[in-house]
Amino acid sequence: MIKRWSIRQLALERYLALALLCLFTTVWVTPLAIVALSSMKTPIEQSQSGILALPENAAMILDNIASASELAGIGNGLLSSLLYAFVGSATAVIAASSAAYSIAMLKIRFPFFWFLIIYSGTIFPFQMYLMPLFGLYQSVDLYDTRFGMLLFYSAIAVPFCIFVFRNYFIGLQGEVIEAASLDGASSFQTYLRVVLPMAKTAALFLFVTQFSWIWNDFLFGQVLAKSDDVRPVMTSLATLSGTYGKGTIPQQMAGALTASIPTLILFFALQKHFMQGLILNTAGE
Amino acid sequence: MPDTNQVSTDPLRNEAPVTALDRAPPEAPTRARALLRTIEPYLYLLPALLLVGGLLLYSVAHTFAISFTDWDLITPPRFVGLKNYIDAVRDPTFTRSFTNTLVWTGGSLLLPVAGGLLLAVVLERIPGQRILKTLIYLPAILSTTVVAAIWSYVYTNNGVLNETLRWVGLEALARPWLVFAPTNTLAMIVASSWRALGPSMVLFLVGLQTIPPELIEAAKIDGAGERILFWRIKLPLLRPITAIVVIMSVIGSFMTFDLVWVMTQGGPGRSSETLAVTMYRQAFIMWRMGYAGAVAVILSTIVIAFSIFYLRATLKRSAL
Repeated sequence: MIKRWSIRQLALERYLALALLCLFTTVWVTPLAIVALSSMKTPIEQSQSGILALPENAAMILDNIASASELAGIGNGLLSSLLYAFVGSATAVIAASSAAYSIAMLKIRFPFFWFLIIYSGTIFPFQMYLMPLFGLYQSVDLYDTRFGMLLFYSAIAVPFCIFVFRNYFIGLQGEVIEAASLDGASSFQTYLRVVLPMAKTAALFLFVTQFSWIWNDFLFGQVLAKSDDVRPVMTSLATLSGTYGKGTIPQQMAGALTASIPTLILFFALQKHFMQGLILNTAGE
Repeated sequence: MPDTNQVSTDPLRNEAPVTALDRAPPEAPTRARALLRTIEPYLYLLPALLLVGGLLLYSVAHTFAISFTDWDLITPPRFVGLKNYIDAVRDPTFTRSFTNTLVWTGGSLLLPVAGGLLLAVVLERIPGQRILKTLIYLPAILSTTVVAAIWSYVYTNNGVLNETLRWVGLEALARPWLVFAPTNTLAMIVASSWRALGPSMVLFLVGLQTIPPELIEAAKIDGAGERILFWRIKLPLLRPITAIVVIMSVIGSFMTFDLVWVMTQGGPGRSSETLAVTMYRQAFIMWRMGYAGAVAVILSTIVIAFSIFYLRATLKRSAL
C-alpha cells in the first residue's frame, strides 16, 4: 500500500519536473525566436510592434541582411571567415597529425619534450599573444592580410589537435608499425596510407571543432585586421552591435543570424561530434 | 608555411616505387642517406613547431619582456623594471577590473556550474531528455559576439527585458541594465551563462551516467530519499568531473573579453572592465604596451596556476 503510493507520488513529481523543465526550456530559447522575428522587421515595425509579434513581411530579412552587409561588411566577412575556418583548421589538422605521428611513432630524441613545447600553446591566455603579433604583423606586412590571418588561425589550432592525435596514435602504435614493416613502406607512405586513414574520425572531429572555433573568433580579427575585406565575420558583426554599435536592431539581428548559420548547420549535421568534442575538450583544453 | 615543408619531403618518397613486392633490396647506406634517415622524423615536426613556436611561444616571451619596459610602439622601449606591475597594483581601475573579474568567476560558478549540475540531476530522470538537452545546449553553438549582440538587444532601454517587465506590470524593475555598476557586470554574467550552461550540463550528465545504477538502487532500498541520494552518493561520485567543470569555468571567467567588449567596451567610465578588457584597452587604445604587458602577465599567472590544477585533475581522470 505504502509502496504503491510512493510510486504514484514519484510519477507525479516527475511530471511536475517535466512541466517545469519545459517551461524553463521555452524561456531559454525565446531569445533565439526573438532574433529570428526581429530580423524580419523594418526598424519602425520593430519599435512599434510587440517583441513576439509576427513580422508583416518575412522577406524583409533579405533587405536587412543586405543593408547590414553594406554597413559592416558582413558579406565579405562571411567569405573571409569561410576561408579561414576551412583552410586554417585543415592546415592545423595536417601539421598536428604529422607532428604527432613523429612524436608517437618515429624515432626521435625527447619525444615528450617536443610534445610539451607544441602543446604548451594551449595554456596561455590570448592576451599574451596580442601585442607581439600586432607588432610582428606590422613589421613583416602581414597586418590586415588574409594570409596573415590564415597563418595565425592555423597556429592557434595546432596545440589542441596535437594533444588529441598524440593520444590517439599512442593507442595505435603497435598495429601500425607491424602493418607497415610487413610491406616495407617508407615512413611517409605509412603516414599517408596507414596512419591518416586510421585517424579519420579524430581528424574529422578536430576539423569540426577547430572550424567552429575559428569561425567564432572575434578578438584576433579585431587585433590583426582592419579592412572589410580581411576582417572575419564576427569582428564585422561586432561593429553593428552593442552599446557602441552602428546598426538598427533588425540589422543587428539579421547579421547575428547570418553569421551563425554555418555553425548551426554543422551542429545539426554532426551533433554527435560536437558533444564528443566537448567531452574530449575536458581532457584537453 | 606548413605546406611547403610538407611538400618538400614528398618527392623523395614519390620517386620510389610503391608496393612492397617490386621494391629493390635495401642498398648499402651512404652517408647522405644515413643523415637523411636521422633527420627525416624531425621534418614531420617542423610545420607544427614553426607555427606554434614562431607565432605563439615567441609572443609569450615577447609580452613577458615588454612588461618590464615603457613602450608606446613609436619610440624604442625603455627598461623600467617592475614599475608597470607596481603601477598596476596601485591603480584603482586595475583593482576594480580585478574585482569585476572575481565577480565574473563567482557568478560563473553559481549560474552555469551549479545551475548545470541541478539541471543535469533533474534532466537525468526525465523522459524526452534528448530534445530538452539539445535545446538547452543550442546557445552554446553561437559565438560570444552573437550572444553579445542578442543580449544587447535584451538589455537596451526599449529592449526585450524592459518591455517584458512593463508588460507584466513590473515597471518599477525596468532600468538601463548596462549603465550602472554592478548591475552591468551582473547582467553580462547572465548573458554569458546563457551560452555556458549547456556544456556544463552535458558534462554533468555524462558524469551521472558513469555512476553504477546498482549503487543508486541499493541506496534506495535502504530508504535513501532524493536529497540524501544527491548529497551522499551522486555529488561525491561526480567529484572528478566537477573539478574539471569548476576549473574550466574559473579559467574562462578570467579570460572574459569578447562579451564585455562588444556589449559595453568595459564602460561606462570603465566600470565593467575585466582584466582582459583592461589589457586590451591599455595596449590598443592607450598604447601603453608595457602596462598592458604587466596586466597580461598577471592574468597568465592566475590562469596557469588554475591550469596546473586542471591538468592534475584530467591526468587523474585519464589514469582511471
